[in-house]
Amino acid sequence: MTAEIDIRNVSKRFGSLTVLEDLSLKIPAHEFVVFLGPSGCGKSTLLRMIAGLESIDIGEIFINGEPIGHLPPGQRGVAMVFQSYALYPHMTVRQNMAFGLQNISVSSKVIAERVANAARMLEIGHLLDRKPGQLSGGQRQRVAIGRAVVKEPNAFLFDEPLSNLDAALRARTRVELAQLHQRLKSTMIFVTHDQMEAMTLADRIVVMNNKKIEQIGSPMDIYDRPATRFVAGFVGTPQMNFLNVTALATEPSGVRVECGALAVVAPFDAAAVGRATMLGIRAESVSVVRDGEGDIGATIDVLERLGDRSLVHARLADGQSVVANEAGQTRLKVGERIGLRFAGDKAHLFDADGVAFHVREAVS
Amino acid sequence: MSDVSPSPALRRGLGDHIILAAVLVLSVAMVAPVLWVIGLSLKDNAELMANPNSVFHPPYIIDNYIAIIGTSAVFRWIVNSLIVSVGLTFGTLVLASLAGYGFARLEFPGRQVLFVIVLFGLAVPEQAVLVARHQIFSILQFHNTYQGIILPGLSNAFGVFLMTQYFRAIPKELDEAALLDNASRFKIFWKVLLPLTLPAQATLGIFTFLGSWNDYFWPLISATRKEMYTLTVGMASVQSNFAQSEGVGFLMAQAVFAGLPIFIVYLFFQKYIVTAVSGAAVR
Ligand SMILES: Nc1ncnc2c1ncn2[C@@H]1O[C@H](COP(=O)(O)OP(=O)(O)O)[C@@H](O)[C@H]1O
Ligand SMILES: [Mg+2]
Repeated sequence: MTAEIDIRNVSKRFGSLTVLEDLSLKIPAHEFVVFLGPSGCGKSTLLRMIAGLESIDIGEIFINGEPIGHLPPGQRGVAMVFQSYALYPHMTVRQNMAFGLQNISVSSKVIAERVANAARMLEIGHLLDRKPGQLSGGQRQRVAIGRAVVKEPNAFLFDEPLSNLDAALRARTRVELAQLHQRLKSTMIFVTHDQMEAMTLADRIVVMNNKKIEQIGSPMDIYDRPATRFVAGFVGTPQMNFLNVTALATEPSGVRVECGALAVVAPFDAAAVGRATMLGIRAESVSVVRDGEGDIGATIDVLERLGDRSLVHARLADGQSVVANEAGQTRLKVGERIGLRFAGDKAHLFDADGVAFHVREAVS
Repeated sequence: MSDVSPSPALRRGLGDHIILAAVLVLSVAMVAPVLWVIGLSLKDNAELMANPNSVFHPPYIIDNYIAIIGTSAVFRWIVNSLIVSVGLTFGTLVLASLAGYGFARLEFPGRQVLFVIVLFGLAVPEQAVLVARHQIFSILQFHNTYQGIILPGLSNAFGVFLMTQYFRAIPKELDEAALLDNASRFKIFWKVLLPLTLPAQATLGIFTFLGSWNDYFWPLISATRKEMYTLTVGMASVQSNFAQSEGVGFLMAQAVFAGLPIFIVYLFFQKYIVTAVSGAAVR
């Protein structure tokens, strides 16, 4: 069985510090959900409340329709992989994996089977008789996952499990986790502050910030239609360009947005008129053109050559800075005068509270 | 490349030699008195009286040891010492572990205050509570019993402190992982945390055992009947000559005899004792 997790109006405080406020979230069965947010925003706390390691102050969490707030951690049908792995140092890998099953009196034959299966799947069969101290970081990580897998839980909870791995291993493990999810089809909740991890792993991303959920959506949703300025700025590298809006007007072809000397016309949601204070646009929607062409002129400050593309950090006449994207290896030079062309229909507007307005979905 | 200053390897070699020499000197300084004691214990008392230097040449005899074993009560005293030391060590480990776990992991009102009170126990010398304790034990009729000798040592503030610190150093995530693994609180203590405190248990156990075996002060006061003497008290009781001008050989044989069990313990637990002592020095 796999878990449908329903979090209803949950709040959590530590003493006088409110960490989560009236938070609701429904996670369908089989889904791979990522809680994404800056560190300290309460992701781990929410995960630990699902696991039963933190009490629920207000609200309730349901798993498959049953309230679980009163259940001890072991009886919620969830398994957790900790950031530090939390393997039992004095037990062998085999004992680490078997411990949880022994405690619920699973027969030793079944335990041996499940451990063998998990070990094969995670390629840790040759490590079963070693102790955690004799394993590399990556191997420990696999064992920690194996310890969760053998329990055949309804839901897996991962708390930043990749953050202690080096970059190459992290990328590989990411792919393997995705495969694991394909295979087991269990609900998985994965906590991270790394937007790249979130984008590559998630069916749905829950972006959290400052006690609450900013947005819930598919990775592409989050990327293309960020609900708030926070989400827009947090997701995507390089960070989205933000420019102060100086004038807004409705025109026949859409909304005309002026940011100083720059003017962009796009079919923005008419509600933005009179409210938007900030224009946001990703580097890939700003292209470099010859000086005198495009929407506005600029001077190159810094060039970042990334191989397949280059990031052009340009400065507008009024001092605002914009990052543009150039495919391939650029021949531009620092200090050069260029023009920038803005793909207005890829831009976003934000009001003073950070709420986003997008261009209207194309109706065809 | 320079031939003026010695290479690092050579300098290290020189440093090693100096350390080796220092170790040698210190070892001789430590071992010489022990050898001397053993030598004296193998000499006739009268011969030593006449000429103390006779220790350096034969004849060597084992009469002093025969005399000790001939003391009818000596095996009883050894058994008493063993019961007291083992009982005290075991009891201390159990109590200090449970208390340490409690202070490190359980949330209860007054925990901080209680811990501070325990720490104050470190500063109270035995002599300060002696009279009161003697009175209480008289009323309870604990004198001349094993519990009378063992009980005071069980309130081991240092042990509680040590174990508390040790439990605190174990990441809480291990408890949490075990909770998710359906382990009961006791199982977490017994199967997950306690095994990880083994080095501390060894340290505390060894120090407690050695301290208890060598203790003289409280057993001397509490055990007044000969058959309840511990070995140290018993040995002292058969010394007829308190000026210790006579019977030096016998006295030394007693010292060696009383030290033998400790020596045996050391042989078995050498590894742990070394880490225990060096660990204590580092911290
Ligand atoms: N046991 C606790 N006691 C007090 N404050 C806590 C506790 N656990 C977490 N916090 C605080 O709650 C906030 C959210 O923590 P956490 O959920 O760990 O954030 P995240 O995982 O998103 O980085 C932080 O400000 C943290 O300091
Ligand atoms: Mg966290």
